[in-house]
Amino acid sequence: MSLFYVSDCILRDSLAMDATPVVARERVSRQMAMHEEQYTDLKPFRIFIGSWNVNGQSASVSLGEYWLASDPTPPDIYAIGFQELDLSKEAFLFNETPREEEWLQACVHGLHPNATYVKIKLVRLIGMMLIVFIKKELEEYVTNVAAETVGTGVLGKMGNKGGVSVRFDFHNTSICFVNCHLAAHVEEFERRNQDYHDICNRMVFNQFKPPKFIKDHDQIYWFGDLNYRLTDLSTDSVIKLLEAKEYHLLLQHDQLKIQHNAMKVFVGFNEGEIRHKPTYKYDPGTDNWDSSEKNRPPAWCDRVLWRGGPMKLIQYRSHPKLKISDHKPVSALFDASIKVVDSIKYRKLYENVMKKLDYLENEFLPQVAVDKMEISFGSLSFRDCVTEFLTIANTGQVPVKFEFIKKPNHDSYCKEWLQIKPYTRMLMPGEKLDVELEVCVDIISASKLNAGIEKLYDILVLHLDGGKDLFITVSGTYKRSCFGCSINALTRMKLPVREISDQMFQDLQQNKNLEDYPQCWSIPKELWILVDQIFKFGMLQEDLFQQTGLHSEFQCIRDTLDSQFTEKLSGSVHSIAEALLLFLEALAEPVVPFNFYHRALESSNNFILCKQIISEINESHRHVFYHLIAFMRELLTHSNYNKLEQKLLATVFGEVMLRQSPEDQKSKTISVAAKQSTERKKQAFIHHFLINDFDV
Amino acid sequence: MANSVSGGQGGGGGGPYNYSYIFKYIIIGDMGVGKSCLLHQFTEKKFMADCPHTIGVEFGTRIIEVCGQKIKLQIWDTAGQERFRAVTRSYYRGAAGALMVYDITRRSTYNHLSSWLTDARNLTNPNTVIYLIGNKSDLEAQRDVTYDEAKMFAEENGLMFIEASAKTGENVEEAFLETAKKIYQNIQDGSLDLNAAESGVQHKPASGAAGGQLPHRLGGGDSGGNKSDCAC
Repeated sequence: MSLFYVSDCILRDSLAMDATPVVARERVSRQMAMHEEQYTDLKPFRIFIGSWNVNGQSASVSLGEYWLASDPTPPDIYAIGFQELDLSKEAFLFNETPREEEWLQACVHGLHPNATYVKIKLVRLIGMMLIVFIKKELEEYVTNVAAETVGTGVLGKMGNKGGVSVRFDFHNTSICFVNCHLAAHVEEFERRNQDYHDICNRMVFNQFKPPKFIKDHDQIYWFGDLNYRLTDLSTDSVIKLLEAKEYHLLLQHDQLKIQHNAMKVFVGFNEGEIRHKPTYKYDPGTDNWDSSEKNRPPAWCDRVLWRGGPMKLIQYRSHPKLKISDHKPVSALFDASIKVVDSIKYRKLYENVMKKLDYLENEFLPQVAVDKMEISFGSLSFRDCVTEFLTIANTGQVPVKFEFIKKPNHDSYCKEWLQIKPYTRMLMPGEKLDVELEVCVDIISASKLNAGIEKLYDILVLHLDGGKDLFITVSGTYKRSCFGCSINALTRMKLPVREISDQMFQDLQQNKNLEDYPQCWSIPKELWILVDQIFKFGMLQEDLFQQTGLHSEFQCIRDTLDSQFTEKLSGSVHSIAEALLLFLEALAEPVVPFNFYHRALESSNNFILCKQIISEINESHRHVFYHLIAFMRELLTHSNYNKLEQKLLATVFGEVMLRQSPEDQKSKTISVAAKQSTERKKQAFIHHFLINDFDV
Repeated sequence: MANSVSGGQGGGGGGPYNYSYIFKYIIIGDMGVGKSCLLHQFTEKKFMADCPHTIGVEFGTRIIEVCGQKIKLQIWDTAGQERFRAVTRSYYRGAAGALMVYDITRRSTYNHLSSWLTDARNLTNPNTVIYLIGNKSDLEAQRDVTYDEAKMFAEENGLMFIEASAKTGENVEEAFLETAKKIYQNIQDGSLDLNAAESGVQHKPASGAAGGQLPHRLGGGDSGGNKSDCAC
């Protein structure tokens, strides 16, 4: 169906232009309005238009038989206009008249007896009144009823002349009725033209946005005492032609026909063929032409015109049997085609379009494909780094911004052992990107992994902006290591860490059931081996602790320490020296425990206080401390060869033996000056023990 | 005067594509009960055979009509696997409706409902409408959970309940629409405070930009079949 094609294109276009789906939907709604014919059927309804200038008479006659109900079939809608309803001063000055109710009742009683009607609206301006009735069962299809009046009389605005109008929507067709009384007198035809234009310009239904004018309606019925006369003919000659039924000849002199043909007035309107006698001017109570002094020539003052459609004129006539006025009433009967919404067609169309729109909106959600939902990093230990790639491809129809997002109660979008590069990026449709995920077990995560409070397992949330989330599972196996263990745990392990039971390892890391695991070493065996290796093979080595080792040698040293107690570690002295420092740095609790850290710094200018602190710390820590001090002092005895100085050793070892707890570090940002001062204090603390004699 | 329908040629109200509210839904329940298929059936009116397990949270949207109001549903379909539970819990927040799904042919999925319900109650606001759906009603021969016991469970816990089939589409529309209707009633009677941060409902005042050009009667909801299912 063409509609779907249209809406589809529009949606795609607007999405391509980065419009939101909502905007797209609104655009489609306008399109749908233009395709009204696809869901409406034209159905005929009969409309009765009546008009009568009653010359101020009271409603003393029955209107049914000879006017409103003179046809066999009851019309669906009545629009009945009156002019000169009341010619009194009160009516003119105060717009109040008892005639309104009188004539309304006369109409109500005169409506076709074979149907029940309800009044939609009554509007009156002094002598001009318009009443619209509809069959009761059709009332529910009438909406947006409004009425307005325009005066064009004295001063161009008084209401003795002008028009009154009622508009509404019937099913899906907008209808406007205008009842008017234009300027009088034969020579005033241009004034009448002007009145018409004034009514067109000033009849505004302001309650609508944008405001509606008469011209804005599908169907317009314009009627009333238009007051156009016959020109250039004497009363006698008119009457003679009328008796000969030469209406055609007479109408050539009709001002309305002349002005209409000259496009001066009622442009676009139609009028039915006139086959009835002029409706003006009679001696009231008779069918006789005006016999007064003025002896006015007869004229078709009272007319019905229409515009729009489609519609068919059934009748256009006068009703001479109603004689109380100097005018005869007229009526026109139409079969008007009204746009009736086919509820089944409309629903189907509506639902199809909605479905299509929903489908498109879902289709235009960001979409990506990833090459895997689970990423395994294999087996890792302390200081190992493994990189894997995740390919993200934009498989949707719109640009996608992806981002790895934080889960609630998490500080970061991933664990500290993982790095994602890039963690967010815009991808164009069809574009692909390899995201790098790198796992590194550093000092901070090693102790948590050893303790079992952290695992190499996480679910990453890959979020598409404005769309779905994907869960990417990352995992690896952590091979436990003496690096990242505590001194307390290591001194209770008789065997290398990978040889002991999981239960024991977990318990020791979490300081649980310690009574089951007696201490079997005074200092960690791994530490002893590292120191011993340097003692044996590196005492004379220059640049010790200053040159970095090889990573592969470190891995080898680590694995050896974790799996066997050996007499000889492979690798260079520098690698062993670095491993020693890493071992100390990775200790779950530093040699000088966290809770002594601040006191140690404060006491760093006083050797007595420093010694006091060491005497208070846990025994195994104290053993490690003095073991390291003894080792450093021994190194210094060879300073001729290894060129080591007290201050350098004190700095290097101070940094790893005195550490602030991670929680403590998080809370403060430290200035460079404060950092340097801290480093000096750490150095000073160790330095005391290198230069002074003391008893262990 | 039968002028109760807003919009139409007079302008003012919106056309059929302007919605007044956005409701957030979540779909929860064990793995393999058919959550994604229900969503797919609802948004695409099609059954998705061989639907892969959802690893993450899928997102779907559809505009519906409740009591003459157009409402945009934003539906979050969560992964059912137990290992994702901790992560999916974070999606409950701010849901106006929760569709809790089990599989009538697998009792274990029914037995786990109380755990899902606990999460739903703890993690959403007190007015969140929880709708229990027994999916796969087309597989009558393999039924493992009776309608009556599930109905009783629902009543005991104050849940709305329906058996549905994502495969045939039976009752799928009803479950989503009745949830929306209940939420809308909660808004109407004031029990759901739209200003509350986690109501799960956003009000979108009608712009009127596209109003006035569409047939009002049918868009307004008083056409044929749609009227009867609206009691408010």
